[in-house]
Amino acid sequence: MPETGRYLYAITRHLDPEVLVDIPGLDGGHLDVVEHRGLAVVVSSVDLDEYGEEGLTRNLERLEWLEEVARRHDAVVQALAVKGPTAPLRLATICHDDAGVRRRVDEWHTALQQVLDRVDGRMEWSIKVLTPARKPEPAAAVPAGGEKPRGAEYLRRKKAQAEARLADDEVALHTVEQIHQTLASRTVASRRLPPQDPRLTGHEGTMVLNAAYLVDALDEQAFLSEVQALQAAHPGLVLDHRGPWPPYSFAMLEQG
Amino acid sequence: MTTAAVTETESRALGEVALVDLLDRLLGTGVVLAGDITISLAGVDLVEVRLHALISTVRSEMARQR
Repeated sequence: MPETGRYLYAITRHLDPEVLVDIPGLDGGHLDVVEHRGLAVVVSSVDLDEYGEEGLTRNLERLEWLEEVARRHDAVVQALAVKGPTAPLRLATICHDDAGVRRRVDEWHTALQQVLDRVDGRMEWSIKVLTPARKPEPAAAVPAGGEKPRGAEYLRRKKAQAEARLADDEVALHTVEQIHQTLASRTVASRRLPPQDPRLTGHEGTMVLNAAYLVDALDEQAFLSEVQALQAAHPGLVLDHRGPWPPYSFAMLEQG
Repeated sequence: MTTAAVTETESRALGEVALVDLLDRLLGTGVVLAGDITISLAGVDLVEVRLHALISTVRSEMARQR
Protein backbone atom coordinates (compact mmCIF):
# COMPACT_ATOMS: atom_id res chain seq x y z
CA MET A 1 0.00 0.00 0.00
CA PRO A 2 1.44 3.38 -0.97
CA GLU A 3 2.38 5.83 1.74
CA THR A 4 -0.06 8.71 1.91
CA GLY A 5 0.03 12.27 3.20
CA ARG A 6 -2.60 14.91 3.89
CA TYR A 7 -2.92 17.63 1.28
CA LEU A 8 -4.15 20.93 2.76
CA TYR A 9 -6.48 23.09 0.65
CA ALA A 10 -7.72 25.85 2.91
CA ILE A 11 -8.52 26.82 6.46
CA THR A 12 -11.80 28.26 7.61
CA ARG A 13 -14.13 28.41 10.61
CA HIS A 14 -17.44 26.77 11.42
CA LEU A 15 -17.47 24.52 8.40
CA ASP A 16 -20.72 22.84 7.44
CA PRO A 17 -19.61 19.45 6.05
CA GLU A 18 -22.47 19.66 3.54
CA VAL A 19 -20.42 22.24 1.66
CA LEU A 20 -17.91 19.54 0.76
CA VAL A 21 -20.36 16.96 -0.51
CA ASP A 22 -20.00 16.48 -4.27
CA ILE A 23 -16.61 18.18 -4.39
CA PRO A 24 -13.90 15.67 -5.22
CA GLY A 25 -10.44 16.10 -3.81
CA LEU A 26 -7.23 15.53 -5.73
CA ASP A 27 -7.11 12.26 -7.62
CA GLY A 28 -10.74 11.66 -6.65
CA GLY A 29 -9.85 11.58 -2.96
CA HIS A 30 -12.45 12.26 -0.29
CA LEU A 31 -12.34 15.69 1.35
CA ASP A 32 -12.03 15.56 5.12
CA VAL A 33 -12.08 18.25 7.76
CA VAL A 34 -9.49 18.40 10.50
CA GLU A 35 -10.95 20.57 13.26
CA HIS A 36 -8.64 22.08 15.79
CA ARG A 37 -8.95 25.02 18.16
CA GLY A 38 -11.90 26.58 16.38
CA LEU A 39 -10.41 26.23 12.92
CA ALA A 40 -11.31 23.75 10.20
CA VAL A 41 -8.67 22.55 7.76
CA VAL A 42 -9.95 20.92 4.58
CA VAL A 43 -7.68 18.07 3.52
CA SER A 44 -7.58 14.91 1.46
CA SER A 45 -5.17 12.00 1.29
CA VAL A 46 -2.61 11.91 -1.49
CA ASP A 47 -0.05 9.36 -2.58
CA LEU A 48 3.39 10.46 -1.46
CA ASP A 49 4.95 8.89 -4.54
CA GLU A 50 3.30 11.75 -6.42
CA TYR A 51 3.15 14.41 -3.69
CA GLY A 52 6.31 13.76 -1.73
CA GLU A 53 9.36 15.86 -2.32
CA GLU A 54 10.65 13.77 -5.22
CA GLY A 55 7.26 13.40 -6.83
CA LEU A 56 6.46 17.10 -6.51
CA THR A 57 9.75 18.17 -8.00
CA ARG A 58 9.02 15.96 -10.98
CA ASN A 59 5.31 16.73 -11.27
CA LEU A 60 5.49 20.51 -10.92
CA GLU A 61 7.28 20.58 -14.24
CA ARG A 62 4.38 18.81 -15.93
CA LEU A 63 1.67 21.16 -17.11
CA GLU A 64 -1.19 18.67 -17.09
CA TRP A 65 -0.41 17.72 -13.51
CA LEU A 66 0.06 21.31 -12.38
CA GLU A 67 -3.14 22.48 -14.02
CA GLU A 68 -5.19 19.60 -12.61
CA VAL A 69 -3.92 20.23 -9.08
CA ALA A 70 -4.35 24.02 -9.35
CA ARG A 71 -7.91 23.62 -10.66
CA ARG A 72 -8.88 21.09 -7.98
CA HIS A 73 -7.33 23.23 -5.30
CA ASP A 74 -9.19 26.29 -6.61
CA ALA A 75 -12.51 24.45 -6.81
CA VAL A 76 -12.28 23.51 -3.14
CA VAL A 77 -11.19 26.99 -2.11
CA GLN A 78 -14.01 28.62 -4.09
CA ALA A 79 -16.63 26.36 -2.52
CA LEU A 80 -15.41 27.40 0.92
CA ALA A 81 -14.87 31.08 0.14
CA VAL A 82 -18.50 31.69 -0.81
CA LYS A 83 -19.56 30.33 2.60
CA GLY A 84 -17.29 32.24 4.90
CA PRO A 85 -13.82 33.65 5.50
CA THR A 86 -11.29 31.29 3.98
CA ALA A 87 -7.51 31.20 4.01
CA PRO A 88 -6.33 29.26 0.96
CA LEU A 89 -3.09 27.39 1.34
CA ARG A 90 -0.37 27.53 -1.21
CA LEU A 91 -0.31 24.78 -3.79
CA ALA A 92 1.15 21.52 -2.52
CA THR A 93 1.11 22.04 1.23
CA ILE A 94 1.24 18.53 2.61
CA CYS A 95 1.49 17.01 6.08
CA HIS A 96 2.26 13.43 7.02
CA ASP A 97 -0.99 12.96 8.93
CA ASP A 98 -3.79 14.77 10.79
CA ALA A 99 -1.55 15.19 13.82
CA GLY A 100 0.82 17.12 11.57
CA VAL A 101 -2.06 19.28 10.36
CA ARG A 102 -2.97 20.09 13.98
CA ARG A 103 0.61 20.97 14.78
CA ARG A 104 0.56 23.47 11.91
CA VAL A 105 -2.66 24.99 13.21
CA ASP A 106 -1.08 25.32 16.65
CA GLU A 107 1.97 26.94 15.19
CA TRP A 108 0.04 29.42 13.05
CA HIS A 109 -3.06 29.87 15.16
CA THR A 110 -2.76 33.59 15.89
CA ALA A 111 -1.74 34.47 12.35
CA LEU A 112 -4.56 32.37 10.93
CA GLN A 113 -7.12 34.12 13.07
CA GLN A 114 -5.79 37.47 11.89
CA VAL A 115 -5.92 36.39 8.26
CA LEU A 116 -9.48 35.11 8.58
CA ASP A 117 -10.53 38.35 10.27
CA ARG A 118 -8.89 40.35 7.50
CA VAL A 119 -10.63 38.54 4.65
CA ASP A 120 -14.03 38.16 6.29
CA GLY A 121 -16.69 39.54 3.95
CA ARG A 122 -14.06 40.50 1.40
CA MET A 123 -12.99 39.17 -1.95
CA GLU A 124 -10.08 39.66 -4.27
CA TRP A 125 -10.29 41.56 -7.54
CA SER A 126 -7.61 41.52 -10.16
CA ILE A 127 -6.84 44.65 -12.14
CA LYS A 128 -4.40 44.56 -14.99
CA VAL A 129 -3.44 47.58 -17.02
CA LEU A 130 -2.21 47.06 -20.52
CA THR A 131 -0.87 49.49 -23.04
CA PRO A 132 -2.34 49.03 -26.48
CA ALA A 133 -0.30 47.08 -28.98
CA ARG A 134 2.30 49.30 -30.56
CA LYS A 135 1.03 50.34 -33.96
CA PRO A 136 3.42 49.82 -36.83
CA GLU A 137 5.29 53.01 -37.64
CA PRO A 138 3.14 55.07 -39.97
CA ALA A 139 4.63 55.42 -43.39
CA ALA A 140 6.74 58.54 -43.26
CA ALA A 141 4.73 61.42 -44.57
CA VAL A 142 5.94 62.17 -47.99
CA PRO A 143 6.71 65.85 -48.28
CA ALA A 144 4.95 67.90 -50.92
CA GLY A 145 7.88 67.49 -53.24
CA GLY A 146 7.27 63.74 -53.31
CA GLU A 147 10.79 62.85 -52.17
CA LYS A 148 11.24 60.21 -49.48
CA PRO A 149 13.35 61.46 -46.57
CA ARG A 150 16.97 60.53 -46.80
CA GLY A 151 20.07 60.55 -44.68
CA ALA A 152 20.01 63.07 -41.88
CA GLU A 153 16.29 63.73 -42.26
CA TYR A 154 15.53 60.00 -41.94
CA LEU A 155 17.68 59.69 -38.82
CA ARG A 156 16.08 62.76 -37.31
CA ARG A 157 12.62 61.23 -37.74
CA LYS A 158 13.71 57.90 -36.32
CA LYS A 159 15.10 59.65 -33.28
CA ALA A 160 11.91 61.66 -32.82
CA GLN A 161 9.82 58.47 -33.02
CA ALA A 162 12.01 56.74 -30.43
CA GLU A 163 11.74 59.73 -28.11
CA ALA A 164 7.99 59.83 -28.51
CA ARG A 165 7.77 56.13 -27.57
CA LEU A 166 9.93 56.69 -24.51
CA ALA A 167 7.74 59.62 -23.47
CA ASP A 168 4.66 57.43 -23.99
CA ASP A 169 6.11 54.76 -21.72
CA GLU A 170 6.94 57.29 -19.01
CA VAL A 171 3.46 58.75 -19.16
CA ALA A 172 2.01 55.24 -18.97
CA LEU A 173 4.09 54.36 -15.90
CA HIS A 174 3.12 57.56 -14.16
CA THR A 175 -0.54 57.01 -15.00
CA VAL A 176 -0.36 53.45 -13.73
CA GLU A 177 0.98 54.63 -10.38
CA GLN A 178 -1.98 56.98 -10.11
CA ILE A 179 -4.46 54.26 -11.06
CA HIS A 180 -2.97 51.87 -8.53
CA GLN A 181 -2.91 54.49 -5.76
CA THR A 182 -6.50 55.46 -6.49
CA LEU A 183 -7.69 51.87 -6.25
CA ALA A 184 -5.44 51.06 -3.29
CA SER A 185 -6.80 54.01 -1.34
CA ARG A 186 -10.35 52.75 -1.84
CA THR A 187 -9.74 49.12 -0.91
CA VAL A 188 -8.84 47.25 2.24
CA ALA A 189 -5.51 46.04 0.93
CA SER A 190 -3.63 45.80 -2.30
CA ARG A 191 -0.75 43.84 -3.68
CA ARG A 192 1.24 44.19 -6.86
CA LEU A 193 2.23 41.06 -8.70
CA PRO A 194 4.88 40.84 -11.39
CA PRO A 195 3.50 41.63 -14.84
CA GLN A 196 2.67 38.47 -16.74
CA ASP A 197 4.67 37.36 -19.70
CA PRO A 198 2.85 38.03 -22.98
CA ARG A 199 3.96 34.56 -24.08
CA LEU A 200 1.70 33.16 -21.37
CA THR A 201 -1.27 35.41 -21.80
CA GLY A 202 -1.05 36.22 -25.48
CA HIS A 203 -1.81 39.86 -24.68
CA GLU A 204 -0.51 42.53 -26.98
CA GLY A 205 1.10 45.69 -25.77
CA THR A 206 2.76 45.82 -22.36
CA MET A 207 1.27 44.78 -19.04
CA VAL A 208 2.14 47.79 -16.92
CA LEU A 209 0.14 46.76 -13.86
CA ASN A 210 -0.83 43.37 -12.46
CA ALA A 211 -2.43 44.08 -9.11
CA ALA A 212 -4.79 42.47 -6.65
CA TYR A 213 -7.18 44.37 -4.37
CA LEU A 214 -9.04 43.13 -1.35
CA VAL A 215 -12.54 44.54 -1.67
CA ASP A 216 -15.26 44.51 0.96
CA ALA A 217 -18.48 43.07 -0.44
CA LEU A 218 -20.25 46.27 0.55
CA ASP A 219 -17.79 48.36 -1.47
CA GLU A 220 -17.82 46.22 -4.57
CA GLN A 221 -20.13 48.45 -6.60
CA ALA A 222 -18.14 51.54 -5.73
CA PHE A 223 -14.92 49.76 -6.61
CA LEU A 224 -16.24 48.70 -10.01
CA SER A 225 -17.53 52.21 -10.64
CA GLU A 226 -14.10 53.55 -9.84
CA VAL A 227 -12.55 51.10 -12.31
CA GLN A 228 -15.04 52.21 -14.90
CA ALA A 229 -14.25 55.87 -14.24
CA LEU A 230 -10.51 55.22 -14.47
CA GLN A 231 -10.98 53.41 -17.74
CA ALA A 232 -13.00 56.33 -19.08
CA ALA A 233 -10.32 58.76 -17.91
CA HIS A 234 -7.58 56.77 -19.62
CA PRO A 235 -8.91 55.65 -22.97
CA GLY A 236 -5.36 54.99 -24.15
CA LEU A 237 -4.96 52.12 -21.67
CA VAL A 238 -6.83 48.87 -21.23
CA LEU A 239 -8.03 48.12 -17.68
CA ASP A 240 -8.79 44.44 -17.37
CA HIS A 241 -10.73 43.60 -14.22
CA ARG A 242 -11.61 40.12 -13.01
CA GLY A 243 -13.25 38.80 -9.91
CA PRO A 244 -14.51 38.36 -7.37
CA TRP A 245 -12.01 35.67 -6.43
CA PRO A 246 -11.15 34.01 -3.14
CA PRO A 247 -8.63 36.22 -1.33
CA TYR A 248 -5.60 34.31 -2.59
CA SER A 249 -3.27 37.30 -2.53
CA PHE A 250 -4.30 38.33 0.97
CA ALA A 251 -4.62 35.13 2.93
CA MET A 252 -1.14 33.76 2.62
CA LEU A 253 0.87 33.70 5.78
CA GLU A 254 4.28 35.12 5.24
CA GLN A 255 6.89 33.60 7.48
CA GLY A 256 8.91 35.69 9.86
CA MET B 1 -18.44 47.93 -17.89
CA THR B 2 -22.19 48.26 -18.21
CA THR B 3 -24.73 48.03 -15.45
CA ALA B 4 -25.87 44.75 -16.94
CA ALA B 5 -22.36 43.39 -16.63
CA VAL B 6 -22.20 44.45 -12.99
CA THR B 7 -25.45 42.66 -12.28
CA GLU B 8 -24.13 39.58 -14.02
CA THR B 9 -21.04 39.69 -11.83
CA GLU B 10 -23.17 39.62 -8.74
CA SER B 11 -25.41 36.83 -9.90
CA ARG B 12 -22.65 34.25 -10.17
CA ALA B 13 -20.88 33.01 -7.10
CA LEU B 14 -17.30 33.83 -7.97
CA GLY B 15 -15.45 34.58 -11.15
CA GLU B 16 -13.42 31.91 -12.85
CA VAL B 17 -9.72 32.35 -12.27
CA ALA B 18 -7.56 32.00 -15.37
CA LEU B 19 -4.79 29.45 -14.97
CA VAL B 20 -2.03 32.02 -15.29
CA ASP B 21 -3.65 34.16 -12.58
CA LEU B 22 -4.19 31.14 -10.38
CA LEU B 23 -0.58 30.07 -10.63
CA ASP B 24 0.53 33.66 -9.93
CA ARG B 25 -1.27 33.30 -6.65
CA LEU B 26 -0.86 29.66 -5.72
CA LEU B 27 2.84 29.46 -6.47
CA GLY B 28 3.86 33.01 -5.73
CA THR B 29 7.19 33.79 -4.21
CA GLY B 30 8.51 33.74 -0.71
CA VAL B 31 7.99 31.25 2.03
CA VAL B 32 4.48 30.76 3.30
CA LEU B 33 2.66 28.43 5.64
CA ALA B 34 4.31 25.11 5.03
CA GLY B 35 3.29 21.56 5.79
CA ASP B 36 5.62 18.82 6.90
CA ILE B 37 6.54 17.76 3.42
CA THR B 38 6.12 20.91 1.39
CA ILE B 39 9.07 21.30 -0.85
CA SER B 40 10.67 24.65 -1.28
CA LEU B 41 8.90 25.92 -4.35
CA ALA B 42 11.71 28.36 -4.74
CA GLY B 43 13.85 25.35 -5.60
CA VAL B 44 11.73 24.62 -8.63
CA ASP B 45 12.39 26.70 -11.64
CA LEU B 46 8.94 28.14 -12.06
CA VAL B 47 9.97 30.30 -14.95
CA GLU B 48 10.78 27.12 -16.80
CA VAL B 49 7.51 25.58 -15.73
CA ARG B 50 5.58 28.57 -16.91
CA LEU B 51 7.28 29.24 -20.15
CA HIS B 52 7.69 25.71 -21.34
CA ALA B 53 4.53 24.16 -20.16
CA LEU B 54 1.90 26.84 -19.99
CA ILE B 55 2.01 28.85 -23.12
CA SER B 56 -0.38 26.98 -25.36
CA THR B 57 -2.95 26.09 -22.71
CA VAL B 58 -3.10 29.49 -21.12
CA ARG B 59 -3.38 31.20 -24.45
CA SER B 60 -6.31 29.15 -25.60
CA GLU B 61 -7.95 29.73 -22.23
CA MET B 62 -7.53 33.50 -22.44
CA ALA B 63 -8.90 33.46 -25.97
CA ARG B 64 -11.98 31.63 -24.72
CA GLN B 65 -12.64 34.25 -22.08
CA ARG B 66 -12.58 37.17 -24.44
